[in-house]
Amino acid sequence: MNLLVTALFAVEDPTQTHHWLLPETAEIIYGGLASVIVFLGLYKFAGPMVKKSMKDRTEKIQKELDGAAAARSKSETDAAGIRQALGDIEAERRKILAEADAQATAILADGRARLVKEVAELEAKAVADLVAARGRSGEELRGEIARLSSAATSSAVAASLNERAQQELIESFIKSVGAAK
Amino acid sequence: MSDARIEAYSRALFEVAQAEGNLAVVEDELFRMARAVESSEQLRGILTDATIPAERRQQVVEQLMGGKASNTSVQLVSLIVGSGRGRDLPAIVDRLVQRASSEQQREVAEVRSAVALSDDQTKRLAEALSKSTGRKLNLKVVVDPSVLGGLVATVGDEVIDDTVRTRLEQIKTRI
Repeated sequence: MNLLVTALFAVEDPTQTHHWLLPETAEIIYGGLASVIVFLGLYKFAGPMVKKSMKDRTEKIQKELDGAAAARSKSETDAAGIRQALGDIEAERRKILAEADAQATAILADGRARLVKEVAELEAKAVADLVAARGRSGEELRGEIARLSSAATSSAVAASLNERAQQELIESFIKSVGAAK
Repeated sequence: MSDARIEAYSRALFEVAQAEGNLAVVEDELFRMARAVESSEQLRGILTDATIPAERRQQVVEQLMGGKASNTSVQLVSLIVGSGRGRDLPAIVDRLVQRASSEQQREVAEVRSAVALSDDQTKRLAEALSKSTGRKLNLKVVVDPSVLGGLVATVGDEVIDDTVRTRLEQIKTRI
């Protein structure tokens, strides 16, 4: 037995190759076949995944590019809007100032007219009050004169009504009533 | 007081005065007393005050009329005041005067004067008023100083006013 093993090892030394660079022929054959199988496996199974991944990546990049373009466009639109708004604000400011000026002028004119009217009314009222007061004073004076005259007349008549006067009045009444029919 | 009660009192007064035979005098005296009650718020207050005892009110009547009016008149007024009808004395007496006048087919003529009239003046005035109105009159003279002077006669709805008070009022109105 020992002899057989020794003989086999003596025929082929596994630690020794035929060439220092090239492998053995058989090794090239099954090595090549194995490589082809591995390559085909990779092509068959990993290829679509890689393709899909590449496609997704491309789409993502494209999408990002589109987003960036849209953002830029929006920014430009916003910038234009802001520029326009700035212009509008200036116009609005001028418009508001003009309106304020117009209103102030109108209020001033209105106030002046109202003041003139009020002064005229006050003057008219003062004149009317003066006339009324003058009339009232006259009436009061006339009333007072009438009252005093009446009181004076009553006093004078009462003082003159002595017995003789009373009898004359009675006789006068009797005479006038008797002569009435 | 109700009209029926006034009527009843006046009828009672009339019957008593007629029975006593001095209707004309009693009627006249009661008329003067009624006018006095009407014109004097103080007298009216005393005679109608329910818080004053009836005896005291009757005493006031007797003091007021005693010696100036007939006993019948004093007793009749005392009766009315004592029975708590002092407030209605003028109305009762007016009804009595109307009844007495109607009995004689006469109409009541009330004359107000600032001073009292003499009998002659009263007679002449009654004749003059009768002539003027064409009616027989029962003349009642009331002394009323508020008329100041002259006379005012009221016969039914007719008023003949020639008083100094009215003339002064007219002058005041004109002024």
